Amino acid sequence: MHAVRIVWRVTRLNFRAQLEYRSEFLLMVAIGAIWQVSVIVFATVLLTRFTGMGGWDSSEVLLIPATRMLAHGLMVLFLGRMFGIGRDIQEGRIDVYLTRPMPVHRQVQLAYFPTNAIGDLTVAAGLMAGALSRSHLDWTAVRISYLIAAIIGGMLLEAALFTALASASLRFPAAEYWARWLEELLGTFGSYPLNVLPKAVGGFLTYALPLAFVAYFPAAVLTGHGHDTGVPYWLAAASPLLGVLVYLASRLLWRRSLAHYAGVNA
Amino acid sequence: MAVLHAWRAARVTPLGELHTPPRMTAVLLRLTVQVVLVASLWTGLYAHTGTTAGLTRDQAVTYAVLAVLASRLRELDQYAGRDSVIQHMHYGTIVYWYLRPLPPQRYYALRALGEQLYGFAWALGGYAVALAAGVVEPPRSAAVAGVFALSLLLGQWVLYYIMLVTDQWCFWALRNNAAVMILVFAQNLLSGVYAPLWFFPDWFVTLSAFMPFQATLSVPLSLYIGRIPLSDAAGQLAIQAAWVVILALLTRFLWHRAARRVISQGG
Repeated sequence: MHAVRIVWRVTRLNFRAQLEYRSEFLLMVAIGAIWQVSVIVFATVLLTRFTGMGGWDSSEVLLIPATRMLAHGLMVLFLGRMFGIGRDIQEGRIDVYLTRPMPVHRQVQLAYFPTNAIGDLTVAAGLMAGALSRSHLDWTAVRISYLIAAIIGGMLLEAALFTALASASLRFPAAEYWARWLEELLGTFGSYPLNVLPKAVGGFLTYALPLAFVAYFPAAVLTGHGHDTGVPYWLAAASPLLGVLVYLASRLLWRRSLAHYAGVNA
Repeated sequence: MAVLHAWRAARVTPLGELHTPPRMTAVLLRLTVQVVLVASLWTGLYAHTGTTAGLTRDQAVTYAVLAVLASRLRELDQYAGRDSVIQHMHYGTIVYWYLRPLPPQRYYALRALGEQLYGFAWALGGYAVALAAGVVEPPRSAAVAGVFALSLLLGQWVLYYIMLVTDQWCFWALRNNAAVMILVFAQNLLSGVYAPLWFFPDWFVTLSAFMPFQATLSVPLSLYIGRIPLSDAAGQLAIQAAWVVILALLTRFLWHRAARRVISQGG
């Protein structure tokens, strides 16, 4: 309870700190929104020009970017500070965190308030509302529960990927370069049915870089395309659980990497 | 002597890159994977579609792959070298740019030139491999190749000025993180990196015609794939050149105003 109170107080202070530069604050909210709009624009253009993408109708396809964007927005809000950790390592801030009586991971997450998450989540919620209103599916309690689980699982899976890269950054600060690419890949290739891609490429985005589990597989299960994904149905359906497991594994990796951390100059 | 100084300033970032082999390996891997993914995506999308928005499958794939390669031209990590304008403004070291015998605007231009030439070497290497592998189509004639090269040069010139404006913004706002992110978004969307502008609705294409972004990439690539015919090339090149002049005058004015805002040791 004490820890929660500290987290809340630090977050409030961080939020006020972001308000110090008002124009930057508003621009960051805007950038979160328009960054997500770019994903919508891309998906809309593809849907308009290439109807029946991968055998999915447009209302079904919309569920993929909506799920991914909500998961991404929540990840940015709660667990997103792993993204820029290379800079913290280069500037020796991790060394300072190690001397304080709070877990380093939590200190990293509390380093600043992610203003852009406000814009991210606003647009993502709007897109999800649009996707659900256009959907022809019967939204039973089970489906809604699965969708919520998929969003949380997607958030954790995305966080796990960035945490794994952050763990690598503890030894190789330049690994942050990969984080920028990962975010770009998630935005570009995580928003439509991956069965339009050749099998080898789809396999890469499933097993080497598991972005198919973030939104594509859960959306396929929800819309009845779960048997056409190229992976066993149970594996596609287990995407939310996989997110939890991979995140726990990434935290173990982080702890292990931190134990071997020797400073950027060591 | 001036040439020697220019050479030394221009090679700073490329030298930094050459001394970090892991980063170069990462760039190579990223570029390869991105090209394969993008080519696969557009090939897959066209599997059940013929010509759409005036583009055939080969034209769309060529456009998309060239867009990925062109995005390498100015994608260097200046932040790691602590020589970005925002860092100098934050630490107060921007004043040193004004104390050197080299004017800040020339230093900035030389650094950018070095980066763009280094990025161009990457893009050219990628293009040669993609061409040999048959992923991209060759230009349809020598005239198309020549016009494309000229248009690409003008496009990079426009891009240089756009990036300069966002850096100059730091002299007034101290921070430009959001401005840079908005620029990246606008640049990617309105220049056709996400998808060729020809796929967008007419109103969107008309709107983008009034902004400088499409001059950076969409115009040269459309000329290359033949979506803009050679007969229309002169007009497009003139528009690109006009943007170069307009942005050159604007950034010159901003450099002049920015210099008045720099104070040393409290003024």
